[in-house]
Parts: sequence; C-alpha cells; structure tokens
Amino acid sequence: MIKVLLIGNPNVGKSTLFNSLTKSNAHTGNFHGVTVEEKRKIVKLNNEEYEFVDLPGIYSLNTFSYEEEVSKQIILTENAIRLLIVDANSLERNLYLALQLKELNLNFKILINNYDYFLKKGNKLNINELQKHFNNVEIVNAKKCKLSLNLLNLENNSNQEIYEKNFTNTKNEAFFQKNLQKNSENLKFFKNFYKNERGQIKENNLNYEKNLEQISHLKKFIVEIKSNFNLSSEQIIFAFNGVYKNLNEEQILYIKNLLPQIIKARYNYLNKMLSSTLTIKKNYVYGYCKADKFLLNPLVMIVGFFAFFFASIYTIFFAIGPIVANWLNTAFNFFVINPIMNLLYTSTSNVWLIEFFSSGVFNSFTTIITFLPQVCLLFIFLTILEDSGIISRMAYVLDDFLTKFGLNGKSIYIILMGVGCNTMSTLASRNANSKNLKIKTALINPYISCMARLPIYVIVASAFFGKKSYFVIVGLYLLGLTVALITSAILNKTILKNTDNNLFLEFPPLRHLDVKHLYNVGKTNAIDFTRRVFGVVLSIGVIVWILTHTNFSFQYTQTMTDSILFFFAEKIAFLFAPIGLNSAGVVCALVVGIMAKELIVSTLSISNNAASTAALISSLTLSSSVVHFNTASAVSFLIFTLLYCPCISNLAVLKKEVGKFYMWFAIICQLTTAYLLSFVFYQGITNGIFIPIMTLAVATIIIFSATYIIKKVKHPKCLTCNKCRKN
Amino acid sequence: MNLSEVKLNTECLIKQINLQDEKIKIRLMELGLIEGTKILVKNKSVLKKTLLVIFNYSCFTIKYDIAKNIMVNYD
Repeated sequence: MIKVLLIGNPNVGKSTLFNSLTKSNAHTGNFHGVTVEEKRKIVKLNNEEYEFVDLPGIYSLNTFSYEEEVSKQIILTENAIRLLIVDANSLERNLYLALQLKELNLNFKILINNYDYFLKKGNKLNINELQKHFNNVEIVNAKKCKLSLNLLNLENNSNQEIYEKNFTNTKNEAFFQKNLQKNSENLKFFKNFYKNERGQIKENNLNYEKNLEQISHLKKFIVEIKSNFNLSSEQIIFAFNGVYKNLNEEQILYIKNLLPQIIKARYNYLNKMLSSTLTIKKNYVYGYCKADKFLLNPLVMIVGFFAFFFASIYTIFFAIGPIVANWLNTAFNFFVINPIMNLLYTSTSNVWLIEFFSSGVFNSFTTIITFLPQVCLLFIFLTILEDSGIISRMAYVLDDFLTKFGLNGKSIYIILMGVGCNTMSTLASRNANSKNLKIKTALINPYISCMARLPIYVIVASAFFGKKSYFVIVGLYLLGLTVALITSAILNKTILKNTDNNLFLEFPPLRHLDVKHLYNVGKTNAIDFTRRVFGVVLSIGVIVWILTHTNFSFQYTQTMTDSILFFFAEKIAFLFAPIGLNSAGVVCALVVGIMAKELIVSTLSISNNAASTAALISSLTLSSSVVHFNTASAVSFLIFTLLYCPCISNLAVLKKEVGKFYMWFAIICQLTTAYLLSFVFYQGITNGIFIPIMTLAVATIIIFSATYIIKKVKHPKCLTCNKCRKN
Repeated sequence: MNLSEVKLNTECLIKQINLQDEKIKIRLMELGLIEGTKILVKNKSVLKKTLLVIFNYSCFTIKYDIAKNIMVNYD
C-alpha cells in the first residue's frame, strides 16, 4: 500500500482535497486549525491501494503547537508520497515549508490551490519558472480534483533511514559526551561567527542541487558548522528544521541562535525566486475585504452574532425543526413501527416480547430519532459560520474580552464547535498555543450545550413552559457559556495561569456559502446521528429496559419499582433530594446519561412507557408517571443535565488530551457546579431567595479563599508581576 | 514608538526582532515577519490589545505587546 500525505499551511484546502480524492466527508472550514489530528482513508486506483493521510496544517517544521508536532512527525518519518498543497494567494509563506522539505531531501509535489481566485484578482504566476526550482508543480482545484495516477506520479521516500542513523545511534551520544569540552570551545567560536555574520548573508546561487551541502542558502552555515562542530550534514539540516533529537543543550542552543539567520536566508531565496515568477497586483490583500470595515466593528459583530444565534435556535427548535420532526415521526410510525408491531401482535401472545419491542426497542429510540432534523439544522448553522470566514473575525473581535477570562480569540471556535459536539471540540483544543490554554479549553468545553442535550431541553422545557420554552432553551445555552467563562477565569487565576496568550491568526477571505457543502454537512451529520442512535442509544436502551423490567429473581416485572435498576437508584436517590430530583427514574436517567446524553431521554421514555415525543412531554407533568416533575424540579433537572458530567467519549478524549488528573478534575468540578446551581435554582423557586443567596455567598467565599491559597502556595512564573521580575 | 497612537492604514517596518520568547520570535520570522518587511496596521481591537495587520499580501492578527517590540513607524 502506498501512503499519500497531504501537507500544507493551515486553511489551504488540504481537507477539501482529501474529501475530493477519497470521496470522504472530513470536517472542513474556512478557519485556521480545523483539522487537529490526521485522518486516513484507503482508496483503490488501478488495482493499487493508496492510503491518503490528511494532516493538520503546519507553517514550518519548527513546530508551535501540538497539532503541528503531529504533522511534523508523520512528514519526517513515514515512507510516502507527499503532496504539498499551497495557496496561490500566499505563495511565499507557503513555499517556506516547501523549502524545508527540499532541504531534507524529501520528494514532494506542489499542488497550487485557489488559483482561479488569484487570477481573478489580476495576479500572475509563471508556473514554468517555478518548475525550475521545484520539479513537480501542478495547479489543482481542491473542490473538484479527481484522483488520477498523474497526480500521484512521484517517487515515495522518507528520511526515516537518515533519521535513524543520525538520531537513534547511541554512538553519537557517547561521542557528544566525550567531546563536551571541545563543544564548549566550539560554541564560543560559533557565537563569534554568528555575531560577525549577522545580516550579511548573500545569495548567489539559485540552483538547487541534490547534495544537501550544495543548497545555496545553507551552504555557508553547513560548511562552517561541519568543520568546527563535528556534526554530519544531515544532522545539521535536521536541526535547522527543528529536530534536535540526541543533540545536547549546547548544540541545540547554538543551532537555535543560528535559526533567525537561516530563516532570513530562506526568505531571501524565496524573494529572489518569486520576483521572476510572481506578479501581484498593487494593493492586493488576501483575506481582508471592504466588508471587514463594517464586520470588525465590535457592536456590529456582537449584535450580529446574537441575532444569528437567536434566529438559529428559533429555526431549529420552533420553526422548521419540529415540522420536519413531525413528518419523520409519522413516516417512521407508518413504515417501520406499525408494521412490525402488527406482525408481533398477530404472531405471538408473549407479553414480554411485545413489551420488549414496543417499550424497550422502539420507545428508546423513536423519541431520539425524531430529533434528527434539529441536529442537522444545528450543524448546518455552525457550518455557515465556519465556511463564511466569520469565525476568524469573531476570534479577533472577541480576543480582548476572552483574554480577561484566560482564553484567547481562537477559543471562540472551540466553544462554537462544542455546541455541535463536546468530544470534537475537546479534541480541537489541541490548536491552543500553550499547554495551560489547551487544558483550560478542554476543561470548560463540557459546560457548552452539545446537540445530544438538545432533545432533553426541548422535551422538558416544552412540558413545563409551553411557548416560553424558547427563552428557557436560550437561557440554558447562555448559562452554560457563562459557567464556562467563570470556570476558565478561576482556573486562570489559580492552577492554569496563561503565560502565553498570543493570537497569531491568519484571516481567511469571506466566502460565499456552498449549498452543496451545506447539504453534505447535513447528510453526514444525519448519518452519524442515526448510527449513534441505532448503535449506542438502542443497545444501552435495551439494557436499561431489561434492568428496569427484571426483578432480583431474574423474572420479567411490569412494576418498575421492583426492578434491579430501581433498587440501586433508590439507594442513592436521597443525594438528589435537595435539588428536587429524588425520583429513582430520574436518577437512573442521569446515571445512564454519563454513557451518552441522548440516553437520558430514551431512559425517561422507557420509564414512562412513552411511545412518542408528545407522549413523553405530557407524561412528565402527570404525577402518576414513574418520572414526573414540577416546574422547580424541571428547572433543576435541566440545569443539572446541562452541567453535570461529560459523556464517556468526551471523558476518554479528555484523558488522552489532558491526562487522568484533569479528567477527574473535570468530573468533580462539573458535578459540584451542577449540584450547586441546581440547588440554588430549586431552592430559590420552592423556598424563596434566602437559602440560594446564602449558598452562593458561601460558595463564593470558598472559591475566593481557595484561589487566594493556591496563588500563595503555587505562584506560576510569569513576566508581568514585580515578584517574578525581581527573581 | 507608541503604537497605540499609530493611525489605521499606517505603514510600519519590522525592526530586528528581539523578543524574550524564542518560540514566538522564530514563529513570527517564519511567517515572514523578518527585518525590513513592510506591515500595514489595518485595525485595532476595542481595548487595543490586538492589531490586525497586513504583510506579504496576507492579513494576520498580532498582539499589541509583541507588535510594539518589533515594529517601527516610518510614515
């Protein structure tokens, strides 16, 4: 099998090309850092298997974030064909990476994307001239590119051999130890060399030759270092490109001191090369347009965003969503449920079997599957924000505001992604610049309402608030966001202080919406959601039904209060009494909901034996139902489900991304917050405002005291406070 | 130079980048912000903590704290 790596700067169209070549539906967006982990897909062409790998965007092999490190490792070590996708509109910066690959003697092909837009704006590019410097150059349209042998006509190679030879050889280590004294002297020599040579790099030879030492802009450095520092050419080239494996601190320091000179030399080379190949129209800017004068006004952006947000929620939950859901429900009953149930009624009289299918199988997922249109609409609205290029503008406008909470502008993308799926957005926290920022964004993510909680809000809010449920749902989204921001601010003041909050964000151009892409997003998410419902929801729903209909003698029981699950739920129900949720059915739903939030609704429908969403809504208000609420306990339930615990897949990603400690920290922190706020709202509605105010006051004092103590005990090193400056 | 007083659409020059954080310094250079590059201030955020700048035909956001250390106004 031949591997094909799709490499390039962020937002140049790698994932779009990946989708075109492999006929996939990988997540794409008009924003920097949409892809955070590599995606692989095997495609057959002329009886040969090709594994396409879509990598996260990378500006340079000197990596800056975790996602770039992932790309770098794969680029350097995998034996593959490399397709370097570059944007015609920012060729110089894009070709910087090409130069690095060339220095490492890696075979690659340059695919120039976005060329139509480039030409349309009056710019010109001499491809033949570019071919002289980089042998394989081709123009592609990432959206329409078709897989062909011509596209992949390139020898595959890797630097694994050189990499192994130079960096995993223990002899080298011994050699460096032995020559430590000598190296110190060399270092002194190179410090002088560096000082003298600063700003005097001259580029004469524009022809690349295969021998690494002949690469003109590096030749001078390599010759000098080789003769004085006892490093091989390959080691030097690797070190120039950010691979310092098995080099000692002094050597790394030395190479790092040289890096600015090398970068300048590379850009000098690129400038000269492009002066004969590229003609850019005067005042041409890629990314910034006239509309930005208006859009970057904070008032316009914030008002515009909230108008879009409120309109989206209205459309999803109250306008188009329920109508389509109703059609779906009718069709599903007519074509699937009714025929199967009729068949069962006529063929068997076994109560258990009939109950199992009607209540255990169909009830558990019909109440969820009817939310399919709403879920699709939610993702379509998020895609509109992503594809249009608005998110980058929001990131810039909101950066100052989010910095106050220890986040940065880019966090807005992660927050918005969380509205779709918390697990995906936790993974997206990888594109944060610093470790603390990454942990913080990952920890606050589960507070954002994801699409799995959407059915719970609609059902419970509709049952108790009728037409006013719109405001309840909007309130829940805003409450989640507020709690996330406050948590981030507290973490920033205590254990996760930001030391590096720099926002380098490339502005993409504003783009027209692609209806076909929106359709594809809707379709992909519909398939994912259906698969999830038929997989997780249905299988766990069946287990829940069995546990709620089986007693300790392992016999079928219609009285749920005799069942195994209710027995255990009742034992812990007292813990939920202060927040008004002491019913065993609710406790079951909350516990099962940790597996996946969709299971909360399916468990409620199994408990109340509700065959449809409408039946479940009406059953929740009846005191005769197994699970029922009053207004206060309904509010408490909604707040608790919003905040209480990430789902199991999110926990797995949290553990992988930020470690076991922070995973447990997230669980405890969220349970505490959920309990506290549910308690405050429940007690406030039932017993007046005295108890909630006292509770909030005590909680505030505890948080401030803890913050103060942690700050005193563990003061992170910074460059801003007087204490650290003195030290 | 007090960058907060620089008007929008003012062209500045990148001077020698001397930042304490080596990682940021290298990244800025690799994005094309090398000595002598012309850079245009296109927008300032509300609290003037972030700038929107244009260089090498592309548009980037950059923190004011960094910008003031690497840019000189020559208009």
